[in-house]
Amino acid sequence: MPMYKVKPVSPADIKIDLPTCMYKLPNIHAQGMNCGEHALQNGEVDPALKALEERQDEVLRRLYELKATVDGLAKTVTTPDADLDASTLSRGPAESVFRATADLDSLLGKDLGALRDIVINANPAHPPLSLLVLHALLCQRYQVLSSVHVHSSVSAVPPPLLSCLGPRHIDSYARQRFQLGFTLIWKDVSKLQMKFNTQSMYPIEGEANVARFLFRLLSAEPQDPVLATQMDCWIDTAVFQLAEGGSKERAVTLRSLNSALGRSPWLLGQEFSLADIVCACCVLRAGQTTSAPANVQRWLQSCQNLGHFDCVYPLLQ
Amino acid sequence: MQYRAGEEEQQAQSKKALKKQQKEAEKAAKKAEKQAKLAAEQQEADEDDFAKDRYGICPMVQSQQKLDRALVRVQDLTPEKAEQQIWVRARIHTSRAKGKQCFLVLRHQQFTVQALLAVGDRASKQMVKFAANLTKESIIDVEAVVKKVEQKIESCSQQDVELHVERIFVISQSEARLPLQLEDAVRPEGEGDEEGRATVNQDTRLDNRVIDLRTTTSQAIFRLQSGVCQLFRDTLINKGFVEIQTPKIISAASEGGANVFTVSYFKTSAYLAQSPQLYKQMCICADFDKVFCVGPVFRAEDSNTHRHLTEFVGLDIEMAFNYHYHEVIDSITDTMVQIFKGLRDRFQTEIQMVNKQYPSEPFKFLEPTLRLEYKEAVAMLKAAGVEMGDEEDLSTPNEKLLGRLVKDKYDTDFYVLDKYPLAVRPFYTMPDPNNPKYSNSYDMFMRGEEILSGAQRVHDAQLLTERAMHHGIDLEKIKAYIDSFRYGAPPHAGGGIGLERVTMLYLGLHNVRQTSMFPRDPKRLTP
Repeated sequence: MPMYKVKPVSPADIKIDLPTCMYKLPNIHAQGMNCGEHALQNGEVDPALKALEERQDEVLRRLYELKATVDGLAKTVTTPDADLDASTLSRGPAESVFRATADLDSLLGKDLGALRDIVINANPAHPPLSLLVLHALLCQRYQVLSSVHVHSSVSAVPPPLLSCLGPRHIDSYARQRFQLGFTLIWKDVSKLQMKFNTQSMYPIEGEANVARFLFRLLSAEPQDPVLATQMDCWIDTAVFQLAEGGSKERAVTLRSLNSALGRSPWLLGQEFSLADIVCACCVLRAGQTTSAPANVQRWLQSCQNLGHFDCVYPLLQ
Repeated sequence: MQYRAGEEEQQAQSKKALKKQQKEAEKAAKKAEKQAKLAAEQQEADEDDFAKDRYGICPMVQSQQKLDRALVRVQDLTPEKAEQQIWVRARIHTSRAKGKQCFLVLRHQQFTVQALLAVGDRASKQMVKFAANLTKESIIDVEAVVKKVEQKIESCSQQDVELHVERIFVISQSEARLPLQLEDAVRPEGEGDEEGRATVNQDTRLDNRVIDLRTTTSQAIFRLQSGVCQLFRDTLINKGFVEIQTPKIISAASEGGANVFTVSYFKTSAYLAQSPQLYKQMCICADFDKVFCVGPVFRAEDSNTHRHLTEFVGLDIEMAFNYHYHEVIDSITDTMVQIFKGLRDRFQTEIQMVNKQYPSEPFKFLEPTLRLEYKEAVAMLKAAGVEMGDEEDLSTPNEKLLGRLVKDKYDTDFYVLDKYPLAVRPFYTMPDPNNPKYSNSYDMFMRGEEILSGAQRVHDAQLLTERAMHHGIDLEKIKAYIDSFRYGAPPHAGGGIGLERVTMLYLGLHNVRQTSMFPRDPKRLTP
């Protein structure tokens, strides 16, 4: 006989109104629970759970497909020349760069018999180094008529900036012999600006965005979307953290550059790309390249060896 | 009965006569009263005028004496001269009497200063009254003490000082009724309409040009124009050009027979030169290599537009080149850029003054100057929706649209359009070597309007004869011209600008008559 007896506080068989909510847990106070518990502990799955899981997978897959279709649609609507449908992509090897000459008509619009002139307005206090590298690359692919002008809003510009696009082409008096025009105007602007076809195109602002546009003219964009995203990521890192960030952010970026370059000769792997151009220019502009990590220094040297960066070094003094 | 009537008449007469007499008496009384009052005032005046010899109207300056007096210019009246007693000669811009004080604003060219004359121990009531009654625009000599002011006088150009007048004399009096008020002439158009105040229209200004030119805006415009001419000369002299003078009375029309003035020349007639074209070229053939000339140009065009005058000042350049006419284009555009830079750097005060009455965007340009080809311009216009043939000349609205498109893309108000179609150019233009439909000719535009038309000239007598025949020109009339190329002529090119048009477009004004001092057009021959 127990010493103390406590009177039951509540009757044992209360009628509980079970709520009809989404999830139902098995009653932990009920009998006959042991076999279920064991099953779970053994790794066998309760068939009800399995059905639930299957249903969830089905829903998620349908959701993913829907999202992919919408993304594809959005791309075809906003960028007429985008032919990439994200839902049908597969991880292929990155296309080798700089081999194909792009079809300028498809990229820049129909040739109406006039020189297609790309106009870039830049502030002489912040010369766009990556655009100069891209200009050198464009000159290798096409016949480019380059000219440098000083706008009346600027009173004087140091001589290296006037000759940054190289010597004047001998045939520069005959504009229609050239496929592309590259006009650089040193002007008192707050943000770098590119104008091409003012009737149908809004001006593009920001050195990184103009760099992306010019890179597309070289048709050397990586076709693999993962690589393309990585390239964009590196470009944004370079612009926002290397160029515009504080010394802490710069140090962090240099470290991540260092580790990325430890794995491969270029940032995106085996091929030189826009990411290397923009990052290298930002690193060079920030200065103190001698104190940069080892991989970064090796990579800068490789960039220089390519020859495209020759136009940049005279402007760094 | 007669007697009765006569009596009534007499009575009536005497009534009338009485009334008449009464009226006359009243009149006389009033007159006497007035005279008495005047006499009393006069006496008062004569009594109290202790400052009689410190003001008055000077006898006309006929160089009676040579006064060794230094006159200070209004623009030199600054706080540094505080407490100094100086003489100033200026015009009366405004005068306002307020009880015992008279406020005058004295003006010299663009500069104004406030002057104060108050009744006191130095000035009498009569002197203040005299000053208040002086007519506007009169030229006066004032002796005054320069005083610093605590609160800036916003309405004058000399804001930190004011003059306390000691003596005031009139050198040249102006008539009381002015044909136009200077304040109205300087008022911006919009402000006039808004506040219901008057502005002066162009014809009134031009009819009374002497007064209109006194306004600050006009002073600024013509000083800037003088700067344009000066910079043109200086830049070209530095480039090794020689200034030449060409005859304006010539025997044959140079540009075409239609738009030329005829003058009677003893027993025959002659023409006024439409351009120094022929003579510039002859100078090149005479081995002067690089020449320019500044002189009047007469065009008898019956156009009443905002940009045409029958007589204007032409600034013309002609230059021999080595191998390509672009050498000349580069030289001309560099000259224009140097002019623009000179104006931008040294005439900002004048530009701001003009902008107060005629606001406009500052003039933008590129260095080196932008050069587009005619084909590119046609492509740009077609892309903007204009329908035109490849070899058609640009109409004025198309030129303006092109100017806006170029401004949009390159942000410049000045550019060169090269390689015009041959069909729309004069007979002495050299055809393009690679494409016979085009020519080595160019036009330069400022704010979308053409300011210069130039080309490489044909320097071969035979080709010139062919081209003249092709254009149906009488060879006899231009024999002397063609002859000058028969004895060895260097390849050369050139062009000419109009001084008034360039000034108008640089400042963003809308009528060339604003930049011509005494303009001439089909409807105006005076002043």
